[in-house]
Amino acid sequence: MSASKVLVACWLGLAVLSVSTVLLGNAGATLALTAAVLLTAFGKAWLITDGFMELRHAPRAWRLLLLAWPLVLVLGVLLTLL
Amino acid sequence: MSTSADPFSSPARRLPGDLAMWFFILAELTVFAILILAFAVAQMVYAEQFDESRAALDSSIGLALTLSLLTSGLFAALAVEQVRQARSARATLLLLAALGSSCVYVVLKLNEYSHLAGLGLGMEHNTFFTLYWILTGFHFLHVLLGMVILGWLAARCRRGAYGPDNHSGLESGVLYWHMVDMVWVLLFPLVYVLR
Repeated sequence: MSASKVLVACWLGLAVLSVSTVLLGNAGATLALTAAVLLTAFGKAWLITDGFMELRHAPRAWRLLLLAWPLVLVLGVLLTLL
Repeated sequence: MSTSADPFSSPARRLPGDLAMWFFILAELTVFAILILAFAVAQMVYAEQFDESRAALDSSIGLALTLSLLTSGLFAALAVEQVRQARSARATLLLLAALGSSCVYVVLKLNEYSHLAGLGLGMEHNTFFTLYWILTGFHFLHVLLGMVILGWLAARCRRGAYGPDNHSGLESGVLYWHMVDMVWVLLFPLVYVLR
């Protein structure tokens, strides 16, 4: 797949996850739905770091550092909602 | 190191952009992380107030804001790809498209700010709105700076300043824009969606 097609595929994934975020949020306020909303947020951050920022091609330490940012935040927010 | 099992793998690992930009991005992400966690902790303390206040926000507007930023990010990323293929004219158009899409975000956000201010839901209304204005306002300032950078990149690209072997500056500017995107994808569910 060409680099441009990968970027468009990432954008499509981001759009689908964004719509999913709203649908899940409107579906209720259970812990499972909250966790699902946060999981979609992490998925979007992953698509941005690995797709748009091209960290999938970067040294592993940088990739993990940038992926740690949404992971820590998602887990932190989830903890406050338990 | 790459493995054939990883569809995203590449033979040579390379950090795009300038190293200085990455340290700047890390610093920005740290500041936003503190603000986001502060919002989450305040939500834990004032859960009822946050639920009631969030009802004043329209998640469909939040979705439109998200899609405008993500679309802008796509155009900016495609512009970098075009420069790598020595297509500066197309890259310039894509950077202008990124700028146009970000304008949609600005118009929608200003409308939302105006609507909330009209309802008397300003920064001093309650804890939710204090943090809402600080968090989204700080992000909004980053969007504006990012738009200035996109405009500057488009002008330089139009003059042929970037090419397949000389586009680190373009990558750095676009990386900043992706950072703004990434912060928003965490802000969006926290501020507009979670209950």
